[in-house]
Amino acid sequence: MPPRFGPDIIGGAELVVAELSRGLAERGWEVEVLTTCARDHFTWANEYPAGVEDVDGITLRRFPTAAPAAPAERAELEAAILAGARLTLDEQQRWMNAGVRVPELYHHLLDHAHEFRALVVSPYLFWTTFACGQIAPERTILRPCLHDEPFASLELFQPLFSGAAGIWLQTDPEHALAHRLFPLGERHRVVGEGIPTDKSYDPERFRRRHGIEGPFVLYAGRREGAKGWEGLLETFARVVVGRELDLSLVTMGVGEVRPPADVAGRVVDLGFLDDADRDDAFAAAAAYVQPSRYESFSRTVMEAWLAGTLVIANGASDVVRWHCDRSDAGLLYDDDVELEQCLVFVADQPDEAARLARPGRRYVLDHYTWPAVLDRVEATLEEWTCAS
Amino acid sequence: MRILMVTPYPPARDGIAAYAVQEVARLRREGHDVEVLSPTPSAAHHHLDLARRCAPLALAARLRSYDRVIVQFHPDVFYPPGATPGRHVETSIALAGAFAAAAAAGGEVEVRVHEADYNLSRRSLRALGMRLMWRQVRRVVVHTEAERASFAATFGISPAGLAVADHGSHFSPRTTLDRAGARRRLGLPEDETMFLAIGFIQPHKGFDRAVRAFARVRPPRARLEVVGSVRVEEPAYLDHLDELRALVGATPGAALREGYLSDEAFDVWLVAADVVVLPYRHIWSSGVLERASMFDRPVIATRVGGLAAQAPPGTVLVEDDDELAEAMQAAARRSTPPPPPSRLEALPWPPPGASRGEVMAVVQGRAEAERRVRGTAAPLAPGPRSAGASVLARLPPLRSPVPAGRPSRRLVKRLTRRLVAWQVDPIVAHVNRLHRAVLDAVSAPDQRLGGE
Repeated sequence: MPPRFGPDIIGGAELVVAELSRGLAERGWEVEVLTTCARDHFTWANEYPAGVEDVDGITLRRFPTAAPAAPAERAELEAAILAGARLTLDEQQRWMNAGVRVPELYHHLLDHAHEFRALVVSPYLFWTTFACGQIAPERTILRPCLHDEPFASLELFQPLFSGAAGIWLQTDPEHALAHRLFPLGERHRVVGEGIPTDKSYDPERFRRRHGIEGPFVLYAGRREGAKGWEGLLETFARVVVGRELDLSLVTMGVGEVRPPADVAGRVVDLGFLDDADRDDAFAAAAAYVQPSRYESFSRTVMEAWLAGTLVIANGASDVVRWHCDRSDAGLLYDDDVELEQCLVFVADQPDEAARLARPGRRYVLDHYTWPAVLDRVEATLEEWTCAS
Repeated sequence: MRILMVTPYPPARDGIAAYAVQEVARLRREGHDVEVLSPTPSAAHHHLDLARRCAPLALAARLRSYDRVIVQFHPDVFYPPGATPGRHVETSIALAGAFAAAAAAGGEVEVRVHEADYNLSRRSLRALGMRLMWRQVRRVVVHTEAERASFAATFGISPAGLAVADHGSHFSPRTTLDRAGARRRLGLPEDETMFLAIGFIQPHKGFDRAVRAFARVRPPRARLEVVGSVRVEEPAYLDHLDELRALVGATPGAALREGYLSDEAFDVWLVAADVVVLPYRHIWSSGVLERASMFDRPVIATRVGGLAAQAPPGTVLVEDDDELAEAMQAAARRSTPPPPPSRLEALPWPPPGASRGEVMAVVQGRAEAERRVRGTAAPLAPGPRSAGASVLARLPPLRSPVPAGRPSRRLVKRLTRRLVAWQVDPIVAHVNRLHRAVLDAVSAPDQRLGGE
């Protein structure tokens, strides 16, 4: 039950649920995906038609979203949460229910939950997970994609974590964080996340197609403050202008880019790319920058390493720090000055940057292939749920 | 049949919401087309603030589209807090109109009464207004015979027109854990008798009576867990919570677990308990009693309202606090297993002449052994911050209050806030800067000391 589902959805959690569904279906499980008609997680407008369809052997049921009931109130409460204020439980509930809701999905599940062996809800922050994950907790598996963010500390989420039949975690730091925040039951396991590895790369094809010349760093994902995009833009502008670096910033994903005027020509927004083009972009980049401190896995970091590209990452993310320390293939920064120096290194020493990236591919292949992840997922399904 | 249920609804935490969603699930299983209208945004199909003055009109317009309307009634949902008698009567008349309009359109209106004020004089304006309202309803359902009698007497409705329904008729268990599993989940030892007082923390629930009774009895190898949270953050309830905190803090073996409870977590606590204590000061029927019965958990309850009629055989009903304490003592005797033999002899006291440090080490060793036996956690080690710094760190940043209340009031509050923001916001920011600076100043010496 991802909040969104579709080939053009930008979002790591949603993408993984799609691949997980396909992987389980290929292994003989009967899989249904229950989701919304929304494509955009800002507007939650119903863009896909409601109803049932078959997608590669998976039954996909879409349900319409109800318009957010009180967006202004939600924004105010959200600002308070982000400022570290303590909200009463009543305020937390108002925050959750003031945003998008999906009553038809809730009632479909109320009618049919008993027909499923397992109900997989993900990620934790969305209404679909919060509301639907508590209908039949005895058969619900939570894939939280937990970040160390103010929302995770809300008391509201305690029952979701403590009551689920099982929890699939992606990394050791996420596991530690979950223990720190919630009274977990016995049934939780780090199953990881899979990355498709049968890829080919043609960096020159990417450059030709998009007319991009010279070295560039890449950012892929949602362009929004919570992902660290604005900070990256600011630092990039300061370093390339101040140090006259020969470096561009290429980005793909959703959200407004809003580059500062003095570097507008050096920030290239490619929007949504197909899979092959995306892979080529990772291979063509001098480095991939992950500025987000709120990561539960960071799929794009894996994509970069698979393509043989150096990762420059915000060290405030325990998860990405853990990946970089284990793989030995990423530079970490703790503030914008260190990020500046990382960018200078990539511009001045491109061969060294490429050499540093080499262990990354092996790291991904050793830990995060789908067959290995699906083995772990199936083992937990067998262990935690009943066939009847 | 097309049915509309008017009720608080999940994912809001609310006993009526939990009751309603189970009835919705049953009606849908029976093939009915059920929609839900809730007073606040929820998983319901529609929402309408039912305590607003114009809400009955909007409700009337909506009710006419359904073959059957089921209202889960609680006064807080329909009457604004602190409503004057005039406003109360006005609301009752308006609701009577809405129900009559639904009936005129061919719909059947049923009301499940979860709470009503039976202390009203039958001739009071409020009672008369509500009587008019109830008369437009085809079927009023209460949960005990005693409540039926009180309802009939207060509102002048013939008892024949009132149905009594089993409070738990739609209930289903939300956990499959057994007692041992539930205790593991909750981190509680298996070998202690656990009394449980659970639900929203409100004066009429009488959780304080359970704590006082437990303190008088002090049964060995037993604990009292008070679990729940305040439903409505009103001064009277918050004062009661403060009192309860203090009471529990002064009672060895008692613990107050404040927090949000899902239906599943609620049932896990019930399954983990040996005895459920319901020391209500007043109540007409109890959902907790029904859920405890579903799991065959023994219950001690006060003989108030309709509990005597609702309680299954085996329930211990008490009249007052003395009887409550006696019943708890008897229950503890019945269910407390004998202590493990000689467990304190595992670590002998040091020989004569031992230093204070050696004695302390043995005291601590024995305490640790006791904790292992009891399955309780060791005391937290002191952190690097001093107590003062910790208190400061717990203080949340100052923020402007989030506008609450009815939409019109929220709008006024928002406008007011925007008007004064140019003056208020810098003050808030400055206070928060001062807070951080004080915290830094207090923490810095602690950290230096910690590093030495």
